Amino acid sequence: MLEIKNLHVKVGDKEILKGLNLSLAAGQVHAIMGPNGSGKSTLSYVLAGRAGYDITQGTITYNGEDLGALAPEARAAKGVFLAMQYPVEIPGVTTMMFLKSALNAQRRARGEKELDAIGVLKIVRQKAATLNVSEEMLKRALNVGFSGGEKKRLEILQMKLFEPKLAILDETDSGLDIDALKLVAEGVNSLRDPSRAMLVITHYQRLLDYIVPDRIHVLAKGKIVAEGGKELAKELEAKGYDQIIKDAA
Amino acid sequence: MTSAAVIALPTRRVEEWKYSDLRAALGDEGFGSGFARAALGPLPQGLECFYLDDANRPAWVTDVYGTLKSNTVSAVSLALAKGGVALRVRKNQAVEAVTLNFSGAGHVRALLVLEEGASLTLHESLSGSDTRNIGFEIVLGANAQLNHVRLSPAAGAAVQVEEVAITLARHARYHFHNAAFGSKLSRLEMYIALEGEGAEAHLTGVCVINNDHADITTRMHHAVAQTHSTQFFKKVAAGKSRAVYQGKVSVAVGADGVDSRQTAKAILLGSQAEADLKPELEILADDVKCAHGAAVGDLDADSLFYLRARGLSENEARNLLLHAFLEEAIPEMALGLVLDQVNDALERVSA
Amino acid sequence: MSSAADTKNTVAALGEKYKYGFVTEIETEKAPKGLNEDTVRYVSAKKNEPAWMLEWRLAAFKRWLDMKEPSWARVHYPKIDYQNAYYYAAPKQTPKLQSLDEVDPKLLETYKKLGIPLNEQMALAGVAVDAVFDSVSVATTFKEKLNEVGVIFCPISEAIRDYPEMVQKYLGTVVPVTDNFFATLNSAVFSDGTFVYVPKGVRCPMELSTYFRINASETGQFERTLIIADEGSYVSYLEGCTAPKRDENQLHAAVVELVALEGAEIKYSTVQNWYPGDENGVGGIFNFVTKRGDCRGDRSKISWTQVETGSAITWKYPSCILRGDGSVGEFYSIAIANHYQQADTGTKMIHIGKNTRSRIISKGISAGKAHNTYRGLVSVLGKADNARNFTQCDSLLIGKECGAHTVPYIESRNPSAKIEHEATTSKIADDQLFYCLQRGLGQEEAVALIVNGFCKEVLQQLPMEFAVEAQKLVGISLEGSVG
Repeated sequence: MLEIKNLHVKVGDKEILKGLNLSLAAGQVHAIMGPNGSGKSTLSYVLAGRAGYDITQGTITYNGEDLGALAPEARAAKGVFLAMQYPVEIPGVTTMMFLKSALNAQRRARGEKELDAIGVLKIVRQKAATLNVSEEMLKRALNVGFSGGEKKRLEILQMKLFEPKLAILDETDSGLDIDALKLVAEGVNSLRDPSRAMLVITHYQRLLDYIVPDRIHVLAKGKIVAEGGKELAKELEAKGYDQIIKDAA
Repeated sequence: MTSAAVIALPTRRVEEWKYSDLRAALGDEGFGSGFARAALGPLPQGLECFYLDDANRPAWVTDVYGTLKSNTVSAVSLALAKGGVALRVRKNQAVEAVTLNFSGAGHVRALLVLEEGASLTLHESLSGSDTRNIGFEIVLGANAQLNHVRLSPAAGAAVQVEEVAITLARHARYHFHNAAFGSKLSRLEMYIALEGEGAEAHLTGVCVINNDHADITTRMHHAVAQTHSTQFFKKVAAGKSRAVYQGKVSVAVGADGVDSRQTAKAILLGSQAEADLKPELEILADDVKCAHGAAVGDLDADSLFYLRARGLSENEARNLLLHAFLEEAIPEMALGLVLDQVNDALERVSA
Repeated sequence: MSSAADTKNTVAALGEKYKYGFVTEIETEKAPKGLNEDTVRYVSAKKNEPAWMLEWRLAAFKRWLDMKEPSWARVHYPKIDYQNAYYYAAPKQTPKLQSLDEVDPKLLETYKKLGIPLNEQMALAGVAVDAVFDSVSVATTFKEKLNEVGVIFCPISEAIRDYPEMVQKYLGTVVPVTDNFFATLNSAVFSDGTFVYVPKGVRCPMELSTYFRINASETGQFERTLIIADEGSYVSYLEGCTAPKRDENQLHAAVVELVALEGAEIKYSTVQNWYPGDENGVGGIFNFVTKRGDCRGDRSKISWTQVETGSAITWKYPSCILRGDGSVGEFYSIAIANHYQQADTGTKMIHIGKNTRSRIISKGISAGKAHNTYRGLVSVLGKADNARNFTQCDSLLIGKECGAHTVPYIESRNPSAKIEHEATTSKIADDQLFYCLQRGLGQEEAVALIVNGFCKEVLQQLPMEFAVEAQKLVGISLEGSVG
């Protein structure tokens, strides 16, 4: 589903990704682990198409298509979803209003029929219940004044709502206590599906106790330096990034 | 007879002088024909001094004297003043505090140049109840730092105006505090041009007046990107007095990354007092953070009650809260110099 | 492409072009071009006005000749040649219309294009409409239903003839004849407008609404609105404005006076979408308007809500004089300036009575090469014990060539008064835009969504039926915002 080859990415004048390779098949959950500054967030932004992240070399192929050539909203319509580390606040725009606008924009782009307010409300309510997202939260302005946990739960709610093909979860565990983490992980696990691929980006092994990946890639200095099965996470926890990176070199 | 210089003086019909009718306050006498004096305290090492009544002005004076932007009143002092003082700190020199005192009636000028990397603490004070017009120019080179505390005691029936025009080069820093106690008409106008990236200016001020007038008018111009400014002014007006704050922050085209905040608060004591606040923004760049706040009101009734419930008399409680209100706007560098005056003035207004 | 550039392109692609720019081919009757005493007499005669009205106008005209055009606002425009315009233009018509069926079908077609539901749909919407086309009022609906409860809603020209005592008692008492250059001009040459009287204790059963349309070229429009809410009554009034696209600038100088007596409430909403000129700043309406409300009675309330998206120049300060004890004034404003538009707008809240309260929420959006100024005065006079004001004044900039300016005057003369003012300046943040795009919204939708969020507090104040329309207008107005 996702094929990244020799990817080089510059942010401003600085090269952050320096020849990254990655392959992710439908039905698989992969984790990207790496220390601070290794390029994890850059990878998630470049996959979603954020302006200012320039591909200087290499390719990203998504279902046979050159992902790099698409606008961010076109990627979203084609099923690319990025759950952000820091979900953005938009004052004055209610969460419900935002969900409806985004869902219908995606449906429109795919040539599907738009849903009316009641139709959207029904779906949202149904998905919100399992994530403990209250009616009151949906009425508040998007992410404004939400706690860290509320913001992350809302990201997962959107993931459930949009049913993406490729979900990228950027540091979804940051700022969550253990109960919230479990709730979020349950949400993510419920979306595991043979037709869906997920890329879980994290600094810590903790999240991977709850979302168990099929494969782990270690990212350091803009490249994948080590790969392995889920046991690699434990090894990282025990030895630390420095040691693993040294061993790999 | 009314001289041309008097006719040129602004009335309240001139927008910037709406709350301070200079022409009316001065009458036909204008600023008179005398000249005020500028006197320095003991000269610290590293500070050069030149008296402007000496005709043989050195290049460092003539290069900048009279070149900064000025308002009409400052233009008059520039045209008519015969004396005053010029100060300079050379490159990378750090100079301890110096005091600069203005006294007497009439026009007077001052000039201060801090070369690149130089630093100085300036204590400016005004004395005497004389009608006076001060024009002060300050040039801060790259990375220069000036701490400036100005004390303007109550000056009765005098009309006192001062304009301070400042230009700041790259990464220059200017910290200013003004403690003003008013007179028949008293006005400080500041024009601050942040002309080098990374330059910053931080202004604070307190004002306590009783049956008097005190006006602080600032113009903060962010000419280039990445410049910062803060302004924080507090006023207590009692009796038949008028406290004025007019602050205009402007951001030039392309000056991205500007961060500016201004706050002005006033408390009125007594039914004859008036506060006029006009915090103004003029923004021509889109990537900026600019905000202002202004408030006029009375002391917080809940706080007052709380203190009285703990045994303070109403007067004590009010005084305590007024102190707290003002002290918030007095920075460390000014505390030792202005606190006594603030205390005395508060005692007078609450008596 | 940087995201700033993205924003620009988005905004450039936003919405449709000015859709009210058409001209209606209809025969008009005009006063001779130019302005002199005869013009004033002509307008008055056309309206079959009583002598007192003509005298009132002539006195105003005499004063106007000695007045100077104000120059303090932050707007720049070529000198207006007051002699090179028509001061009266009316569709040629039979004098009296008994029903809508008698109105020229072309006019009705025009109103249909404007989206004014002037027929059966009106009944469903429950809105009574007075429509002013160029200088005359062409149709007023729902007169009968309003008559039942004693509400008078008619063209002001009719009120001058039918209710002279009432007009004489109130006209010019809120905005004096000599208030300012444009108001005085209006007093001399106003041709029509709306009159509303709501009797004691009556809650007006429907929203009242007037649509203003400038159609004829080289024509100024000078309408006059007078609304009186008698003791304990309530009325909600909405005005909408459009004009055709023309290369010339046309002058619009209206005066609106509101009087709220004891316990009365007036809610006045405006959706102003006069032709703003093209993307090069050619053409567009010069909108110099004086609007003022007088809370004359105790516990009365006047609330202004405005969505200002049109006009090349906007010069407008809907104000409240809070004379009655416990009276309340409100001002909610969205002002959008795009391309070369210039808006200088705000309010005055004059606290005279005890326990008076006011609230100002202003949202200014600047784009393209436009300048948007908020100018406001909060003044608390000596007797206004316990007066309260809260002001929030936010500016949003889209692009690098526009300007946002905030000029508040805060004057307090009462120690028990409390005034609070806050202002912020911001832009659409890159991360907000990216977040929306990532969730599938197009650029234009994203910008419209974020801007509407920015304006929400004001949009909420509009009557339901018009809030949706206003929201769309906010998006459309930002079309081609950065060149």
